[in-house]
Amino acid sequence: MGELRTDNMSLGDILDESDGREVKRRARGAGPRREHRLRRLLRPEPVFWGLFSAGGFVAAFLVPIHVAILGIAFAAGWLPTRALSYERVQHLVQLPLVKLYLWGLIALPLYHWAHRFRFAIYHQFGILRWKRFIAVACYGTAIAGTAISAWVLLSI
Amino acid sequence: MSKREGGRYPAYVPEYPRSWWLQTGPYRRFAAREITSMFAAAFSGLLLLFLVALSRGREAYEGFLRWLKLPAVVAVFAVILVAVLYHMATWFRLTAHIQVVRLGRKVLPRSVVIAGLFGTWVSASVIVGYFHIWF
Repeated sequence: MGELRTDNMSLGDILDESDGREVKRRARGAGPRREHRLRRLLRPEPVFWGLFSAGGFVAAFLVPIHVAILGIAFAAGWLPTRALSYERVQHLVQLPLVKLYLWGLIALPLYHWAHRFRFAIYHQFGILRWKRFIAVACYGTAIAGTAISAWVLLSI
Repeated sequence: MSKREGGRYPAYVPEYPRSWWLQTGPYRRFAAREITSMFAAAFSGLLLLFLVALSRGREAYEGFLRWLKLPAVVAVFAVILVAVLYHMATWFRLTAHIQVVRLGRKVLPRSVVIAGLFGTWVSASVIVGYFHIWF
C-alpha cells in the first residue's frame, strides 16, 4: 500500500479507511477490503443514528415538562386533583393518538441513551474492546424497551 | 503515543489516561453533556412503570401515585429534571453554532436562534401541559 493521501478524500472516506484499520488485523496478502452488497444496503448505523437524533429532540423539547408535571408538580400538590385521576388518565391513554405519543416519548429517548452509553463505555470507562457486543447490547436494550412499551400500551 | 508492532504497517494507537475526560474544563463539560443526555431514558423507565401500574387497574395505579409522593422519588425526579434541562440548554447553544440561519443576505445572530429554540420549547411545554392537566 502506498502512502495514504487524505487531502483529496471526503470525510466519509477517511472514516471508512480508519475504521478498516481499526477493527481487525487483516491477513497478509489479503486484497482490498470489500463489503458485501447486502451488508452495505442494510447498514444499521444510519438508522440508529437517526433514532438517536430523534431521541435527543424528544428529550429536549418534551421530556422536561413531563418530568416537571409527573415528578414534581404532582407530589407538591400543584395539580388539580382531577388531572391524574384514574378515570381521566385511563380515558386519555385509550386514545390511539395518545398511545402513539407515549410510545415515542418512551422509546425514542431509549435510543438516545443506547447511542450515548455505547460511546460512554469507550470514552468514560475506557473499554476499547468487544465493540460489536457492546453495540448489540446497547441497541438491543432500546429495542427491547420499544417492544415492552408497545405491549404495555396495547394492553391498556 | 505508541506503535503497535508486528502488523503489515505500524498502527498508530494513541494512549491516554482513563480519566482524560476529567482533566480540563472543556473535557468535563463534554462529558457532562454526554452523561446528562442519558437521564431522559431514566424518565422513560419511570413512565413505563406508570403505564404498567395503569394497566393493572385502579388499585395498582393509586399505589403508584402514592409512591410518586415519596421524598426519595421526588428527589430522583428533581435530579432527572436538572440533568435534562442542562442537556437541553447546552443543545440549544450548540445548535445555534452549527445551524446558521439566513434570511436573504443576512445571517441571524446566534442569540436570536437560541431565543427561537427556547420559544419553541416553551410553546411545546405549554401545549403538553395543557393536555396533561386541563384538557
